[in-house]
Amino acid sequence: MTFTVKWQGKIYLSFITLIALSIFWVEDVFVNHSLKDWVFVYILSAAVLLLSYFSIHLPPKGNSFSMDSAIYLAVMFLYGIHMALSILFISILVEFLYKRKMEWWKHLSNFSMYSLMIAGSYYSFLFFGGDIGKIRTDNLFPYVASLLIYFLVNIALIFAFFFFLGRVYRGAFNLGVLLESVVGYLVTLILSLVLAILLAEERYFGLFLFTILVIILSFVFRKFLYLYQLVSNRANKDHLTGLYNHGFFKETLKEQFADCKRLKQPLTLALLDLDDFKKYNDRNGHLQGDRLLMFFGKLLQKAVEGTNFTIARYGGEEFAILMPNTTKEDAYVFLNRLRKQVNDTYFDGVEHIPYRCLSFSCGIAEMEKDMYESDELIHRADQALYYAKAQGKNNVQLYDQHNISLNEIQFKQDLEALEQQVKFFLSKDVYTYRHSKRVFKYALEFGSRLDELTNHERQTLSLGALIHDIGKIEVPRDILNKQGKLEKHEWEIIKKHVTWGREIIAEEKRFDDLLPLIELHHERYDGKGYPYGLKGEEIPKLARILCIIDSFDAMTTERPYQPTKTFDEALKEIERCAGTQFDPVYAAKFIAFVRERYLPLVKMPQWD
Amino acid sequence: MVYDGIVLSLLIGWFRGGSLKGLAHMKLRGGWLFPLLLALQFVIFFLQEKVAWIAKMSNVIFLLVYITGLVFLWLNRHQPGLPVIFAGVLLNFIVMAANGGRMPVSVEAAQFLGREYIEALKAGLYAKHQAITSDTLLPFLGDIIPLSPPYPRQQVISIGDVVMNVGAFLFIQHLMLSAPRHGKGNAGEEKVTASVNQ
Repeated sequence: MTFTVKWQGKIYLSFITLIALSIFWVEDVFVNHSLKDWVFVYILSAAVLLLSYFSIHLPPKGNSFSMDSAIYLAVMFLYGIHMALSILFISILVEFLYKRKMEWWKHLSNFSMYSLMIAGSYYSFLFFGGDIGKIRTDNLFPYVASLLIYFLVNIALIFAFFFFLGRVYRGAFNLGVLLESVVGYLVTLILSLVLAILLAEERYFGLFLFTILVIILSFVFRKFLYLYQLVSNRANKDHLTGLYNHGFFKETLKEQFADCKRLKQPLTLALLDLDDFKKYNDRNGHLQGDRLLMFFGKLLQKAVEGTNFTIARYGGEEFAILMPNTTKEDAYVFLNRLRKQVNDTYFDGVEHIPYRCLSFSCGIAEMEKDMYESDELIHRADQALYYAKAQGKNNVQLYDQHNISLNEIQFKQDLEALEQQVKFFLSKDVYTYRHSKRVFKYALEFGSRLDELTNHERQTLSLGALIHDIGKIEVPRDILNKQGKLEKHEWEIIKKHVTWGREIIAEEKRFDDLLPLIELHHERYDGKGYPYGLKGEEIPKLARILCIIDSFDAMTTERPYQPTKTFDEALKEIERCAGTQFDPVYAAKFIAFVRERYLPLVKMPQWD
Repeated sequence: MVYDGIVLSLLIGWFRGGSLKGLAHMKLRGGWLFPLLLALQFVIFFLQEKVAWIAKMSNVIFLLVYITGLVFLWLNRHQPGLPVIFAGVLLNFIVMAANGGRMPVSVEAAQFLGREYIEALKAGLYAKHQAITSDTLLPFLGDIIPLSPPYPRQQVISIGDVVMNVGAFLFIQHLMLSAPRHGKGNAGEEKVTASVNQ
């Protein structure tokens, strides 16, 4: 992954480097070493390098702690900050020369971080009355304090690093991982005292024993990690192709989705489906089909080499590529090139399928800011894939609202199916039944006036409006029909109807588009709604529109023994809540729509 | 010291399942420089007492030998370990060049090498070594690291020597472990080393 440092990151890096260098300058680090000290510095630096090379890895991968901190601290306790910083300088310099693949600024940041940590613990050690030169067991407090400061400075700098460089450090948000690292620290810190006592007693041989011990431990843990990875690979990878499997992919998608959403970075998903694989299987046999899948898996793996993409076998002959930090346009270029390359790659038996070459269809969808869960991304990529198949296969399609509009017949069928479901309310709660019908009517009319909506969005809005309260079917009648104020627990049950509604409709795949409307029509623009408390543009556009219509009808519905607002009053209420409860743009449009379409009707003389 | 490092490397390489055959696959560019350098050193050694101008120039010639060695290592820098040897030689070269072509030796560290040695060192009798004084530049790069029991040999070495040995170690490990393997028995072994090395 190529990665450029943002300007905040640059300022942050230069800032801590400056502090670190000034510590070196103030403390005059390199001047006062005798030759004997130099020998010791060399040996300690070598030990630090060995220990950071043989760091102790703990499963799951990525967690490791190295014992070099123990050396810095022990040296600091016994010989003061000069020695510790000299060792740091030399070992980082060697690492800089040795690990050429690591970016230079990472070395710099490492160097500065350790300098600050060492300086922080040194000064706090002195501040609390610590004695440099001998480990005094009668007064342990300065040691504890300086160890604590070392730890805190480290945590603070790591947080700042990830914050200013705009990266996600998953550990920072996970208390469990943080606790685990506390244990790691504790081990390091205790070892630092052990090492200090060893060094005071037997300088060279003590260090030698310590280093050997840690290296042996490191070997043992590496073996464990290797076994762990072997087993977890078996659980996460598809047996046939060696790509990640469906479950692991879904998990990764969820994580990446949350990360990219938080960092406002693009995230694109591509779903690939081998064309005419069934025909290939029928002609060549399933064994050969398996071979084709393996071959294709290898092709994909090769194609994404050197990128940060995740590839998985999503289903039978369906594959998924998850592309963080990639826009859909870039993804399109990448996949179209891959498609051509695949077309040009011969594989035994392809002459029997219609295209006479290996080919796939692909649908691409990019995360948009009004998406609230990763399944939506999959759904959109899936729709784009279907569209690609409908375009005659062997092509790549970007998800586009315009491409997937339902035809009139299909829309009618969907409408009828949903109406069947709403009809259950006729016997249970006729008010909800009629409310649904009215909201549907408003949505149909209002939607047709919103020029910015695509045809498919209009259809989705109307269908969603009809079915939006379906979850109330699970709410007991006595709560639905209760006169007077609801108890707190009753109110909690009512609130659940959005989730239940989603569950009911999620049963049928063709209604996936409606799910956000059902689940989110009680979210408020200011973030105080339920079930998630989403805010502003995080709420899908259609759900924001539906929320206005739904509230308007709820206010104006006539119910016996309850006060009802007139249309005029309801519109004033909507105007008042525009920007807090409602999206101000659509609230204004809706008010204009009702004024124009309904107020003239209401004003006509009525026969009461 | 150099030989100790090589012996140790061979031993560890063997334990890791490497093969001596790998050493035969060593491919170095400019390998003809080696015997030439060796011959040159011998010539100086034998002639410096007989021919006056060679004795005078011996320091310069030693530096030239070092430079040739550095060039040779640079030509082969793409082999694992050799850049490290280069760095070690360079460190030694820097401190020698800064001090008139002789390696400064710490008198304190060299104590156990015997009185005669120290006397000779101080008198400047050795062509390649001299004692560290307050005028010595970069003394911390000189021969200041004493090797003493439990290490089996007594010697004073420089940080450059240590770095060179590390490089030689890496190079030999690379050669021994990348040797072509034969037979089935090694397959399992290979897996084990792979896991250890990752």
